[in-house]
Amino acid sequence: MTPSTETVPLEPHSVEDEALSQIVDAMWSSYFGHVEPLLPAFEPHDVEGPVLCASVGISGARPGLVSVVVERSGAAALAAALLQEDEVLADDDIHDSLGEIANIVGGNVKALVPDAGALGLPGISTSQPLPSSAARQAARLDANWQGHWLTFVVWLAAPAHAPAHERTHTPTTTRSED
Amino acid sequence: MKALVVDDSRVMRQIVIRTLRQAGYDWVEVVQAENGKEGFAAVASEQPDLVLSDWNMPEATGIEMLHDLRASGQDVPFGFVTSEGSEEMREKAAAAGALFLIAKPFTPEAFAEALKPVLG
Repeated sequence: MTPSTETVPLEPHSVEDEALSQIVDAMWSSYFGHVEPLLPAFEPHDVEGPVLCASVGISGARPGLVSVVVERSGAAALAAALLQEDEVLADDDIHDSLGEIANIVGGNVKALVPDAGALGLPGISTSQPLPSSAARQAARLDANWQGHWLTFVVWLAAPAHAPAHERTHTPTTTRSED
Repeated sequence: MKALVVDDSRVMRQIVIRTLRQAGYDWVEVVQAENGKEGFAAVASEQPDLVLSDWNMPEATGIEMLHDLRASGQDVPFGFVTSEGSEEMREKAAAAGALFLIAKPFTPEAFAEALKPVLG
């Protein structure tokens, strides 16, 4: 079977593109209202070149992963906007900022997942971590901010009662070179 | 009046402090801690009038810190500032003795509403 990144609709009241979009919008309004708006893309747009990825895991009946991928230069600009700093920030602050973005989105996503367990601590990498083979892409938001592309992705394991072909759906992600 | 802000993210501590100021509490002295273990110690050493704590942190989580504080007889007013704002989390927070839970993303208005009964 050819792996696909196509978004597969989940059961009602679960996490889908619209819910993810609302969560990101709320975060943007609260913390980035003083800068240019985030412009959603109409089609998927993989982030190219050197990237930073922040991810948080969700445990429970449907374990998953919530990640945000952004161009390295975009991550620095995002961190500066979040902290409302004009100075060049250290890598620790850039990683911390991106981690908090993932944490905020992840916490709000978790609230939509039935029987969710714990939210993990944010992790930072230079490539998007692959979720477990049981997870599938539940929601995705591609957007552009000040010329920088960002991708938010939610991976979730299929519900236990889902058809077998959905439970074994294996996602792939675009990876950058480490 | 002193507030203890506990979060493993320096960035989020800065945002919480900034929002506290934007909510009108620029007269409140702020001290910081990086996790629940440090936060527990800081309550003893700093004697804050309020603790604003994240939930998920290494070493000790916010709810573990709150349990430890109450078990030791410390009744400092305590509120969560966390990305998890589900009813289940709010019930857990209230059952442990938290006065409020502010969900991220938050606004200065949300801070003002939650803090007014404590800070005036």
